[in-house]
Amino acid sequence: MKKNVILILVILLGVLIAFYNIDIQTVDEYYLSHLEDIKPDSKTVFLSVRCDTVLKNRDKLSKELNTDEFIPKDGVVLPKTQYVLRDDDTVFAVLKRSMQYNKIQFEFQGNPIKGKSGAYIKGIHYIYEFSCGPLSGWMYKVNGAFSSGDSSSFVLKPGDYIEWVYSCDLGRDVGNNYGSEGA
Amino acid sequence: MSTFSSFHPFVVFSYFAVIIFTTMFTANPVLLLIAILSGVLFYALIEKPAAFLKDGLFYLLLFLIVSITNPLFSHNGATPLFFMNGNAITLEAILSGLRIAVMLIGILYWFKSYSIIITSDKFLYLFGKVLPKLALVFSMAIRFIPLFRNQIRKVSNAQKAMGLYSKDNLPDKFKAGMRVFSVMVTWALENSIETGDSMKARGYELKNKSHYSLFKFTLRDAMLMASIVFLSGIVFFGVICGSMDFAFYPRVEVLKFGAFQYATSIAFGILAFIPFFIEIKEKIKWIYFKSQS
Repeated sequence: MKKNVILILVILLGVLIAFYNIDIQTVDEYYLSHLEDIKPDSKTVFLSVRCDTVLKNRDKLSKELNTDEFIPKDGVVLPKTQYVLRDDDTVFAVLKRSMQYNKIQFEFQGNPIKGKSGAYIKGIHYIYEFSCGPLSGWMYKVNGAFSSGDSSSFVLKPGDYIEWVYSCDLGRDVGNNYGSEGA
Repeated sequence: MSTFSSFHPFVVFSYFAVIIFTTMFTANPVLLLIAILSGVLFYALIEKPAAFLKDGLFYLLLFLIVSITNPLFSHNGATPLFFMNGNAITLEAILSGLRIAVMLIGILYWFKSYSIIITSDKFLYLFGKVLPKLALVFSMAIRFIPLFRNQIRKVSNAQKAMGLYSKDNLPDKFKAGMRVFSVMVTWALENSIETGDSMKARGYELKNKSHYSLFKFTLRDAMLMASIVFLSGIVFFGVICGSMDFAFYPRVEVLKFGAFQYATSIAFGILAFIPFFIEIKEKIKWIYFKSQS
């Protein structure tokens, strides 16, 4: 019997640890209704999200996405917008805040909120990795320079301009040639 | 002994192949519901009621686990219900999870009927000549789980007889289970080698080896085969044309109902319930004859 009690305690502990790591929000709590006002002296960054390459590769796009509802006609998911920069803000943090405020669907993998692992952006506005051919996915550049690093550890400076762009060809169609210098 | 298993192995095997492949490659809720319903009903007819109910509980549990796993890992979809660790748990992901569970359980039930009806002698009769090695490995693999289960019972009974058992606490039971399992792994490796050697010793792969089999292709086999070919032709045509396509992301599609969809669904429905009706017909006949005497 004693061993049974110990086993049950261990299982309970495991369940508790699992619950401690789960953070549940309702839809209303998740979507932000208000962000900091931009005052003349506040530090800010700019963010834009675009998927122009999809428009040129509609033939490769998965069928159920191929409507005006999911693919914006001009390829702009989020126009260039100014956001207040908080302390230690990363590329991922600004994107997440903006998506929460604008009620745009997005999915990431990893656990960047608790700082346990990096973030990989799987999809923004229902457009996912591999949605438009096997070489497609989201990439980001800061001040025009692509970064292949983790977006949740890229700390921003005031005035930075973050662009999230969707590539259908491993970055070559959006001007990122890091993988093909030799070719 | 089921009536359906008395048909020629080639016909029965083609039937299972068509049903299982169609179920595997479709996302259409109508086809999937037909597949799971017909699979479970047919299995209920050919299996003993007690075993069917005992299995049912396990498959119900599996169904629940599979269907809740998908929304935990897939956050696509236009209807968020709540957010977990910053990602959305969506209605679409839950429905997609249900679809995966229905497909999986449906296929598992069809495979259970398959393993009752296509016994390894039938399988070797079908493929022994064409693909001797693959057929042997495949039939051994299919047989493996029931054989393993049977042997586990024997080994644990032997362990009990030797006094190596516990009855009151879980960790000790688990330890005893692990001991039996390690015995089983050794046994399984040895057994498979022995089976291979034994088949070789009987001249399994020799060129002019002759088979003894009682299978005859009769008129009713031809009739069943013709209806399978005809119905699966309609189903395949409908599925390949894309009329049965169904998307869960980003928003669950509305089911289309046109001539194509009706034809494909009805053809698949008839096809999936053929063995069920064959069994039922024989059962009714049996009851009727008994009441006559």
